[in-house]
Parts: sequence; C-alpha cells; structure tokens
Amino acid sequence: MIWTVRQYGLPFLLAVSLHLALAAWIRGVWQPDRADPLDAFKPKMVHSTLLVLEPKAQPKPAPPKAQPQNQQKPQAAPAKTEPVKPARPDPAVEAARRKAEQEEAARLNAARDKARAEEAARQQRLQALAETAFLNSIEDESQDLAQDAADEAETVAQSYRYGIYQRVVANWSRPPSARNGMQARLQVELVPTGDVVAVMLIESSGSAVFDQSAEAAVKKAGRFEVPKENALFERYFRRFTLLFKPEDLLR
Amino acid sequence: MPEQLSIFELIANASALVQMVMGVLLMASLSSWVMIFQRWIFLRRVSVEVDTFEDHFWSGIDLRELYRELDAEDVLTGIEDMFVAGFKEYTRLSDQSGADTEAIMQGVQRAMRVSLNRQEEKLETHLAFLATVGSTSPYIGLFGTVWGIMNSFRSLANMSQATLATVAPGISEALVATAMGLFAAIPAVIGYNRFSARVEVLMKRYETFSEEFTAILYRAAHAKR
Repeated sequence: MIWTVRQYGLPFLLAVSLHLALAAWIRGVWQPDRADPLDAFKPKMVHSTLLVLEPKAQPKPAPPKAQPQNQQKPQAAPAKTEPVKPARPDPAVEAARRKAEQEEAARLNAARDKARAEEAARQQRLQALAETAFLNSIEDESQDLAQDAADEAETVAQSYRYGIYQRVVANWSRPPSARNGMQARLQVELVPTGDVVAVMLIESSGSAVFDQSAEAAVKKAGRFEVPKENALFERYFRRFTLLFKPEDLLR
Repeated sequence: MPEQLSIFELIANASALVQMVMGVLLMASLSSWVMIFQRWIFLRRVSVEVDTFEDHFWSGIDLRELYRELDAEDVLTGIEDMFVAGFKEYTRLSDQSGADTEAIMQGVQRAMRVSLNRQEEKLETHLAFLATVGSTSPYIGLFGTVWGIMNSFRSLANMSQATLATVAPGISEALVATAMGLFAAIPAVIGYNRFSARVEVLMKRYETFSEEFTAILYRAAHAKR
C-alpha cells in the first residue's frame, strides 16, 4: 500500500495538475473570444434602439429626455473646466487639491445623476412604446370585429405572420442556454419591400443571451415576405410585435 | 456571430452517450499520464542504478564481498537482482562436490535468465496499457463524434429550413470528443514508443552484463579445478 502510494503518488499528482492546467488554459483561450463579441455587441444594441426610438416616439417621450439632458449639461460643463483653474496658482496647492477633490466628487455625482435620469427616460420611452404597441393591437382587433371584410385581411396577415415567424426561427442560432418556455417579445419595423429597418426588444426572456440571439435572428433574416397591398402592409407590418417563443428546441 | 461557445458549455450540453465517451477518454488520458510519469521516473532511476552498479562491479571489488553487501539489502534493483541470482546459484553448485564446470555454468545461466525475464516484465509494466490507449482512444473519440453528428443531423430533419447555425453547435459539440481522443492518444503513443526504446536499451545492457558476468564465473570455475 505504502509502496504503491510512493510509486504512484507523484505521477498521479503530476498527471492531475497537467490536466487541470490544460483545462485552465483552454478556458483562458476560449474566454476572451467569447467575451469580446458580447461586449462589442451590447453597446451596438443599445445604440440602435435609441436611434430607432427618437423619430417614432417623439410626442410623448421627447420632453422627459430633453429635460434631464438640459439640466445636467450645464452642471457637467463647469465641473469639467473648473478643476483646471485652481491647479495653476502654485502657492495654494493644498487648497487647490481639496477643491479639485470636491469638484471631482461633484462631477461624479453629476455623472451618476445623469446616467440615472437617462435610464429613467429610456424606461419611460420603452414603456410608452410598449403601450402604443399594445393599443395598436387592440385597435386592430376592434376594427377587425367591426368589419366583416377585415376578417379576410386578418387571415391573410396571419399567414404572412406565420411565414415571418418561420423565417426568424430558421435564422435563429440556438444559444446553449436556451431552454423550452423562454420567450422574448420583439418589435420589428419593416419598409414596404419587406426589409427590416429596426428590431427592438420590448419584453425580455430573462436571458440576455437569448434576447440577443432572437434580435440577431430577425436581423439576419433581413427581409420578410409581406403583402403587396399597401393598406394591409401599413396596418399589420409597418411596425409589429413578434413573440419569439421557439418550441422545437433541441433539448 | 454573437454567440461564441465555451468548450465547457459544449461538454455540459452534449448528449449522455457523448458525455460518457468523454468521461472514458478523460479517464484514459489521466491514467495514461499517470503511467507516463511513473514509467519516466522509474526508467530514469533504473538506468542511473545500472550505471552505479556497473561502476561498482568493475571497480575491482571482490565478488564475494559484493554479494554479501547486496544480500543484506532488502530491495534489489534489476541488475543487482541478476547478479545475486547468478552468484547464489554459482556458490551453491560449486559447493557441491562432483559438479563439473559445464553443469555449474548451465545452472548459473538458467538462474540469470529467469532473473532477466523477471526484470523485463518489471520494465515493461504499463507499456501495454499505453499502447492500448494510444491505439483505441481515437476510435472511441470518433465514435462519440459520429454519434453526436448523427443526432444533430437527425434533429435537423425537423427543421423546415436548414442553416449552418442550426447544425454547427451540435457538430462542434461532437468534435470535442475527437479532440479528447486525440489528446489522450498522442502522448500515449509517444510515451509507448519512447519507453519501449528505453526498455530495449536497458535489456541490452542487462544481457551484456549477464554475458560478462557468466564469463567471469566461468573463468573462476575453471581456475578452481
């Protein structure tokens, strides 16, 4: 027994540590690859949603957005210029430093306030958008009920919707973390040719990776089959919400 | 594409059979590395011991003295064991009256051959295991890969529109098994070749020593007459 331990203890330790080192190395090699595109992706997403929102949600969300920025900018501007000034007179170095520290703190506070205000504004806008989308859909439905002819239009739209959904699913690359039952609600905007001009997440599935994959799927699909009649397109496909809920997940 | 898969996620998401294959390969790799390190340490020690023993043997020391010295030790290394076996047989046979030189030398050679065989067995321990890992683990890995790809294509049949993105994760996941098989096999094959070459060198030295030692004893037996 002791003999065995003496003969195989060191080799065993060496072998295990070799494998652990290899696993750590592989992890290190694969990780940056994995992190970088995600990092690069996030800001892009945020950016695009902001750009999309501004022209559309002008009536309601514009005032709250304008306010915080107007308030914060004058605050932030003097904070940036002032700390340079007290540094110039050399004698009162101590006082200058203290002042600079105060300025720094003020600037940080201002920045934080600004970020918070922007976040709040964004939330508000998102909510407003979701609401309008909801109202639109309700309106659609009530109109459908009122008009018998619209029933047919609805079925046509439904078949197109199904086609769009199939295309999104086909272009979707399943992230490993995707599980059955996940669903994300996206708002998609099309131009009459069927090209996607904007995709926006309005209801998260809870998994950021899944949300991104859904958005990416719509973007990748690029172009959808849409009705040729302008009225139908304007009513159903200019801007519509898409409940992305894949049921045929692999596992 | 946005999603870069981590190798560990791939392994965690693989099907049960592929995971089993990966587990077997991991065990094979671990144990073959244990064998490699163990053999490496062992064979290096043995060749150092052979060097020191040969130096000692050819330093002109009295063989009886050397025998008594070694007989007191509890653990004998390969070449020492051969010397002790040969010399013990020689003293035993030459003490008996009436034994002729040829009979003595035959007995000595037989004793040393037995010891030599035992040493060879000791030197070659685990080499067969390394050879097995080296030759079979690529196939095991390949089996896991084929199975994984089979599954990923089968699930592709349910999709109306096949894109690379729908099969790629499955294939990537399955290929991990082949990678692991190769990872286990390559060191095992290298280790096997290297160690069997070393064992051969050591066996040559043992045989040479046994010839030389027999010649010395033969001379001694003749001189006694």
